[in-house]
Order: sequence, then C-alpha cells, then structure tokens
Amino acid sequence: MAAWTLLTTSEGVATLQFDSADEKINKLTPKNMTELAACIAEIRNNADIRVLLIKSGKPNMFIAGADIAEIRNITSAAQGEQKARDGQHVFASLEALQIPTIAVIDGPALGGGLELALACRYRLVSDNTKTQLGLPEVSLGILPGFGGTQRLPRLVGVSASLDLILTGKMIDGRKAEMIGLADACYSSAFLNEKADLIAKDVAAGHPFVNRKLQGKCLETLSEKTPMGRFILFKLAKKQLMAKTKGRYPAPLLALDVVRDTYRQTAHDGYLVEAEAFGQLVITPEAKTLIQLFYTREDLKKYPGPAPKKAEKPIQSTAVVGAGLMGGGISWLLAHTGYTVRMKDISWEAILKGYESVKNIQKKLISRQKVTTHEADMATIRISGILDYSGFAKTDLVIEAIVENMALKKSVFSELETVVSPTALLATNTSSLSITEMASDLKHPERFAGFHFFSPVHQMPLVEVIRGEKTSDHTVARLVELAIKLKKTPIVVKDGPGFLVNRILIPYVNEAVRLLAEGVPLPKIDALMEDFGMPLGPLSLADEVGLDIGYKVAKILEEGFGDRMQVSGLFEYLHQYPAMLGKKTRKGFYLYEDKKKRPNPDLAGTIQSYQAESGLKPATILDEDIVARMVLLMVNEAARCLEEGTVEKPAYLDMAMLMGTGFPVYRGGVCRYADAIGIDVVVETLHRYSDIYGARFEPARLLLEMNREYTPFYDYT
Amino acid sequence: MKERIAIVDGLRSPLCKSGGTFANIAADDLAAIIVRELVARLDVDKNEIDEVIIGNVAQPVNAMNIARVIALKAGLPLSVPAYTVHRNCASGMEALTSAADKIWAGQARVVVAGGVESMSRIPLLFGREMTQLMTNLMKSRTVVQKLTALSRFRPSFLKPVVGVIEGLTDPICNQIMGMTAENLAREFGIGRDLQDEYACRSHQKAIQAMDAGIFKEEMVPIPLPPAYHFLQDQDDGPRSNQSIEALAKLKPYFDHKNGTVTVGNSCPLTDGAGACLVMTESHAKKLGYKPIGYLKAYAYAGLEPSRMGLGPIYATSKVLDATKVKVKDIKLVELNEAFAVQVLANLNAFGSAEFAKTYLGKSRAIGAINPDILNVNGGAIALGHPVGMTGIRLVTTLLKEMNRRNLDLGLATLCVGGGQGASLLLEGQ
Repeated sequence: MAAWTLLTTSEGVATLQFDSADEKINKLTPKNMTELAACIAEIRNNADIRVLLIKSGKPNMFIAGADIAEIRNITSAAQGEQKARDGQHVFASLEALQIPTIAVIDGPALGGGLELALACRYRLVSDNTKTQLGLPEVSLGILPGFGGTQRLPRLVGVSASLDLILTGKMIDGRKAEMIGLADACYSSAFLNEKADLIAKDVAAGHPFVNRKLQGKCLETLSEKTPMGRFILFKLAKKQLMAKTKGRYPAPLLALDVVRDTYRQTAHDGYLVEAEAFGQLVITPEAKTLIQLFYTREDLKKYPGPAPKKAEKPIQSTAVVGAGLMGGGISWLLAHTGYTVRMKDISWEAILKGYESVKNIQKKLISRQKVTTHEADMATIRISGILDYSGFAKTDLVIEAIVENMALKKSVFSELETVVSPTALLATNTSSLSITEMASDLKHPERFAGFHFFSPVHQMPLVEVIRGEKTSDHTVARLVELAIKLKKTPIVVKDGPGFLVNRILIPYVNEAVRLLAEGVPLPKIDALMEDFGMPLGPLSLADEVGLDIGYKVAKILEEGFGDRMQVSGLFEYLHQYPAMLGKKTRKGFYLYEDKKKRPNPDLAGTIQSYQAESGLKPATILDEDIVARMVLLMVNEAARCLEEGTVEKPAYLDMAMLMGTGFPVYRGGVCRYADAIGIDVVVETLHRYSDIYGARFEPARLLLEMNREYTPFYDYT
Repeated sequence: MKERIAIVDGLRSPLCKSGGTFANIAADDLAAIIVRELVARLDVDKNEIDEVIIGNVAQPVNAMNIARVIALKAGLPLSVPAYTVHRNCASGMEALTSAADKIWAGQARVVVAGGVESMSRIPLLFGREMTQLMTNLMKSRTVVQKLTALSRFRPSFLKPVVGVIEGLTDPICNQIMGMTAENLAREFGIGRDLQDEYACRSHQKAIQAMDAGIFKEEMVPIPLPPAYHFLQDQDDGPRSNQSIEALAKLKPYFDHKNGTVTVGNSCPLTDGAGACLVMTESHAKKLGYKPIGYLKAYAYAGLEPSRMGLGPIYATSKVLDATKVKVKDIKLVELNEAFAVQVLANLNAFGSAEFAKTYLGKSRAIGAINPDILNVNGGAIALGHPVGMTGIRLVTTLLKEMNRRNLDLGLATLCVGGGQGASLLLEGQ
C-alpha cells in the first residue's frame, strides 16, 4: 500500500497525506522517499493544484524522521553522502514547486520529518503535547542530512538554529511559533480546520502572514554582520567544547557546516552537508550512539510477561524511611501523580523527608522543569506518618530505611500484616540480598528490589532486582512502574552489589590500590576523567561517602571472596571516622568553601600504610593505571553476563552509562571492550594477573569469546 | 423512626492563632491533610464516599467551592462530589447536619463532613472608590479616557477594607461581634470580673487537657511549609500561666469607655481544620466500625442579630422540645466560647424562668446547666475559634470525652453571627 495519498478538491487545494502502512510511526524510508518524489512530480504537472497541504494520516504524529535501521546499515562515507544527496533532491523538488506548500504538524516532526516541513513554504503546528519539533541527529552521532543545516538557519537565524542542531533538543508548537520555525500554532482540535481555511485563502492568492510573526524576525546585529556571526560561532564552539570536551564529532562538524555554508549559495551548502553526513555516519561514535538508541527503545518495552490487564493500576503508594533516598522516591512518586504515605519513626525524620522533597522541587523550579503549582500539587500528595495507617489501601510500598538486614526484614514482616494481598513490596537497598530479605515473607513472590540511584531526581536508572522467589508478574509491574516514573529499568538477578555497584566497586577499589602503590591522587582522578568519566573514582568515593562505599565493598568481598577483597589502604582509612568524604568535608579530598583539594594528611597515612604493609611505591604507566581500573570493570561485566545477572551486554552497558556516568560515546563497558578488542582485553588481564594477582584472571566468558572471536555486540 | 447517624471518627488540625503558625498554609491544603488522614486512618474505601461537605466562612477567592478543592487535594477520586456550606460560625455543624439530612433522605450513605477556616488568609480588599477607578480604567479605550480615569485617583483610595473586620461585622445591626457581646453584658448585667474569671478557667481546663494528652486523640500533626523545619502538633492558644490579674489589665477592645469585653475574654482569630466520617449506624456496623458517637437530633434557631450570643439557648430549647429530652438528661455540654460573657449569659438564661417566658414562650426555665459538665476541656477562649471549623471540633471533642466518661447523652451548641443558634444532641458509644 502506498504511504502517500494525494487528494485534490475542486477549489485547487491538494492534500498530500502520509501514512506509513503497518507502522506505528511515520518514517522516511527510501521507499517512502521515492514515492514522495513521484507525488511531487505529479503535483508539479497538475496545473489545477494551487496550494498543497502536507499532513499525516496518523493521529498525534507528523513524521518521526528517517529510518534509523537504514542509517545504521550504511557502510561507507560515499554511500552515506549519496543517501543524503538523494533526500536533498526530493526535498529540493518540493521546495521548487511553484505553488504554496503548507506542512500541517500535529505530532512529532523530527529529523527528516522536520527537514521536509522546512522545505515547505509554511508550517502550521498544534499545541498538542505530542507536537515536538527538532533535529535530534547529533544525538545519533550524525547531522541533519536532508537540508536541515541549510534551511533552518536561514529561516530562524543562526543562533536559534544552532540551539536545535547542536543539541538535538526538541521544542513544542508554541516555542516553534515563537522562534519563527512555525508560521502559526493552533489548538490541536482546530488545526485541520484552520489549515483548510488558510489553504483556501492562499489558493485565492492571498499570501498567509501571521500577524504575530511580523517584525519578529528582525535580524539582530549578531546575525546580520560578519563580525557578529564570527563572535556567535566562536562562542558556540567554546560552549560545545566545554560541554563535549571534543569527544563527539557530530555537533562540532555540524557547527562547521552551518558556519561555512551560511553565506554560500544554497547549492554548495547542500553538498557540504551531504559530505559531512557521509563522514559522520560511519564513525564509531555514530554506531555507538545508534546502538544506544536501540537499547533505549528496547528497554521501553519489557520483554517478559506483560502485567495482567485487568489488574487495578497502582494509585496509592507508600515509602518507608524518609531519609535522602526515601524523600527523593516520595518526591518522584508524588511528582508522577501517585499519593504517597511517607512513613518514618520520628517526626524529625519525616520533616527531613519533606525537606528533601522541597529541595528537589526548588531546584527543578529554578530550572523551569516544574511550575510552583505542580510542585505544590505534588507536595500535598505526600503524607508524613509514624504508623501504618492507610497502608491497607496501598498498592505499592517501597522501603528505604538504613541498610540493615535485620531491620529491613522486620519492616517487611510488619508490612505483610498491614498491606492488602495484592500490594507490591519493594526495597531500595543498594547492596543487601533480596532473596535473604524475602526469606521470612509469607508471600515472597510479590517482593523485589527496586534500586534507585542518588540523587533520585537526576539519576535515570532503576535496577529491578529479582529475588529467587520474585514472580515474573512482580518484575513486570515494577518495570512498568519505572517507565511511568520516566526512569530506565534494568532487570537484574539478585546477587551482591546487584549489577552497577558490583562492577563499579572493583574499579574504585583498584583506584585505592593504585593510590597505595604511590600513584598521586589527582593523577588517578584526572586520568579517569580524561577517559570520560564525569568524576574520578576517588572523587566519586568522596561523593558517595567512604563509609557507605566501604560497607558495599565489604558485602562484595563477602559475596565474591578474594577477587573483591577490599584494598588494604581502604581498610586502613576506615579507622578514621571523621574521614567519610564530602559529607564530613574530609575524605580523599578536603572540601573547603565549594573548592576541593587533595587531603594533605593522606600522604602521611599512605606512607605509614606502605611501611606497615611492606608495600614499595612503584612507577606505573598511565595506560596501565587506566587499564587496571577499567579492565576490572570489563572482567566483572563479563562475569555478570556469564551468570545471567543481566540479560544482555546492551542492557549492562545502558545501566553503566546511566548509573555511573560511564562515557556515552564509549557506549558502555562491553562496547569499550569490543572497541579495544577482546584479545587485547584477555591478554592484558593475563599479564596483570601475573603481576598484581588473581583478581585480574579473565572471566570464563572472556576466554570463550576470545577463542571464538566473538565480541559482546553483533556488528553485522 | 429515623436511624441514628454514626460519627465514625473525627480528626482535626491543631488550632493556631491567625497570622502565625499556619499563615503559610492555605485553608484548602490544611483541610485536605485532615480529610486525607481521616480516610487513611479509618481505612475508608475512597470510592464508597458519596459526598464531601465542608463548612467554611471566609471562602478563599482562589478556592471557590473549597470542598471540591479539598476533596481532590486529599486524593479522593474525581467521581466523588463535594460542596461547601456556610452558616457562619455553625458552618462546621452545618456540614455535619447536611450530611445527616442527605443520609436520612437516602441521597448518600458515606459522607465526609468537615470544616475549615484560615482567618490568616482573609484578604485586605480595595475599597469601593478604588474598585470603581479600576473598572473605569478598564473600560476606557483612548489615552485621554485612561488619563481622565487615573486623574480621579486619591491616595485615600488605597486604604484597604479589612476583610476579617467586615466579616465579623453584622450587616443588619451594623455591630461588630464584640459589640453584640457587650449587648449581652448589659442585658444580663455580667461584669468584667466574671468574664475574666471564666476566661482564665477556660485556659486552665485547656492546659489540663493538653497535659493529659486528650487532644492528641483527635489531632493530626501538621508539618509546616514552606521550609518544613517544624511540626505543629498542639494548639497554640492555651496559656499555662494565664492569670486573672493579667486579664484584668487588658483594655476593653470594642467599647473602650464602658466596655467589658477584652481580647482576653473573647476567642482569638484562629486557623484550623477538622473532619468527620459520617454514615448510618447500620452501615457503620456493617463496615465493622466502632463509631465515636451518634447524632440523635439537631436544631437551628434564629434571634436578633444584636443578641446573637444567645443562639445556644434558642436552638437548644428547640431541639429539646422536638426530642422531649430534658436538660438534666444531658451529661456533657460543649457550648462554644465566642465570648466569656456570651457563655455566662446563656447559663443565666438556661436557668431563668423569666427568660423562658419572655423569649421562648415557655412557662418554666429550660433548665440550668451544671457548670461542671460544661466545656470540661476548655473552650474557644483558650483554644480559638476557626469559625467554619469549630462545629466539627465541638462534636469530636464532646463525643471523645463522653466515651472517656462513659456518658450516653451530650449537647454541642454554639452561637452564630447574624443571630442564630445551633444545637446538636449526641449519643455516646
């Protein structure tokens, strides 16, 4: 079935309607593009058509963009460039139509979809919340290749266009009208009616001018003068470098393309754009970012059993423990629209919980992510309480008290007596065994781990931890809930440290070993920050709190034995109770008036530790410093996959990106291992295990992969 | 015969003096917390609630039909309807009796009846002249018209109309409530000493009740926005060190020259909220509740606005006639303390044959109320009187105390600005 249908009326108004058959969304596949070209030719040859409306046949949808599968399959720069040229030609023929063309946008118009709309003379948009306009190509490591870098700056000006092109951010209908990207924004319900009226008017020979726009496109000094533009591009580059540290080629190249072609004739500009597209599309960064896109899409749907449809949806929730995590979780639940019973054992604790909620809201209000009204409506959904009143009518309880197995178990055995038989029970523990916590429960099947990362409002990851007796149904409901909370759920099997901490702690532990071996503190952190981590391992340990880190490390040591042995220096430092990291203003670093510097006492401590343990400072190469820390992560990741802790490498990588800030452009721990080569990984691990000990012994899975020449990912 | 209406339980916020602790909480938010806790603690199936009725006097302009706002903020389903009732100081009682009527009429089975007042949040208003000027300004189209309109401005236009004063002034007799109390002082010849003594006693009883933790049973502690550094878990009106000497030092507030009514022997302006869960006795039994008590009968009565403080005797006389109950059958009384003099005047009238003859057309006195069973845990002079809410507090406090003392019949009554009285006969467990 054809995706494009052309309908004409006697008044000379033609409507070209796009409806990708058998697809939920409209995508510009090569086939759809060819069809579009034919339709445009037909329109060109039909002298009766005096105005053309381009619409989508799907509700709440314009065109979501090009087909990403197709982009992924491009193997050479030349092929990429040609694809871009082909698309550009089709849109050029659309732009070249003599008659007025109007794009009617009621839903997402992204990437190629927006570029198509840009080739029209007018764009009418709706105020539908689904209406999102943007060029998200850079988030896939590429740039807009169907004329976006050319038409957008000329339409809305350099500054506004860079804001969209370099960030990939999406704007709604009203904002689009404000910056002049759309000619008018109407209510979704009346958009078609308005479009028809305008079309008739335009067909009668009156050009459509939205009064609001008049005088709005006043070219400012910065946009109109070469000097102004020079400064503008320079600033843009500076900001970009600060943000990406030059690790993402796509926005940099996109900036160059806009800068170099802005004053050129259109024809040359399109060639430059296509060439740049070809260049980018085959970069490893693009491949990695596209892989991540697929993983994200994949994670939006839970692959396991779907929750029973008839089930009462979660409405009222409860959080036990109003500490920092409990407060954050309460906020998230209330913010999403659930009522929350926030229980703790003292009003002081509950007030702290409210305070955490308010602090999060204050931040989000100042960033204009939430309005004061929304914040107030969320706060009123939270009720702080000391008893279990209201729990009988609660659909979900999340426990977030101190990390103490006995206490947690007693909370859950109390909970079992007060909640209804259908209520879900979850713990936010970051390290304690889910299976053990469930061991005394009468109904362990409705119990699971639901591990948020701190701070809850910023960290996008939730580990859904399946205990031995957790039912599929419980997992499915928690996954569904996590998605409703706008978090990314990763289902993991119960085990010490679950997934993220299990991989991360050996890395931090190794950093402490390196410190003990005489590597300077700032160097360790700087090397890892160069690697792309947002924070060096020792700074991270300070942030988390050395006591908490130590506790989790100990649990891992108990669970996995020698290979996770807490480093001697860490044990040594643990004797200093005032040295707990940022919260005591003293850890590996000293924290004084918002600045941090290496803790000067540390040198002496390390020396005395070295003396006591007979450790001799050694000179270690930078690359070995990095590799020792990173390869331990790779090795542990392989073990997690081997043991089925997580379903696949892509999910593990997503968890590491979201849970630890592992550099996005590296695609994750497994993706990184693939990039340097499994053979290199195995060989290096062997070498390290000879020198530094058995913790480096390569995982069975790695050895197997090395034997069979299979990477973590399928690259075909 | 009509089935008794069960009051399953009642909860309230602390009562706090206006402009103070609760100044940062809107009336709807405060009441929403109480309704939510009531529903949660009683484990009510929210979908079973047929109606939410809230009494409120100074209805906030930003929360018209505040009952609906409260119901939704309390997390009740969208399908549960709600309306606001207003009978001045009896608005909270009106919420309860409206609920009873609805249930008796078969229009509802389960009702949340409450009351709320944020006297802190009663706004200052622009006066008539300023309002007219703004209207003219909005109507003007040309610059000349606009300037003409603006030129009429005088600084005196900015003098605000104080909403709370307007609200407390009776538009019929044109007297502020305090003056109606002075009227009673004169009618009954009740001097300053007696009033101050009564007020002092109210504080002592309230403090005693607080120390005994009696109010904890009906109170929901309120975490205080915006910073949430503090929790309010008790009433802030009662003073443990209240002395008659201190009261005697106060100047008459309403009639500086000849008056007897001071801020010390009147109730303070107060913020607070309360709510009860109401249903028929049989339905409560079916759901397994043990109600704190039952509404047996009620009456409202009207009288001169300038003597509004006598409302209780008028209304009580009516409800006693209707039920053939005698004053001596009543074991515990909550008679709202708008003013000490007004309570004393009522006590006087209850025992007076002459009053009964003159005003109620009866041959004998209604029957004296034993002061020992009156307001045993203090009253509004100490605790405060959030006008739209007080009715709920009186009923809740009375029933809980009746159960503590194992009493079968109680009376909750109050005087109503505008010249009315309200009386509820309540039965214990």
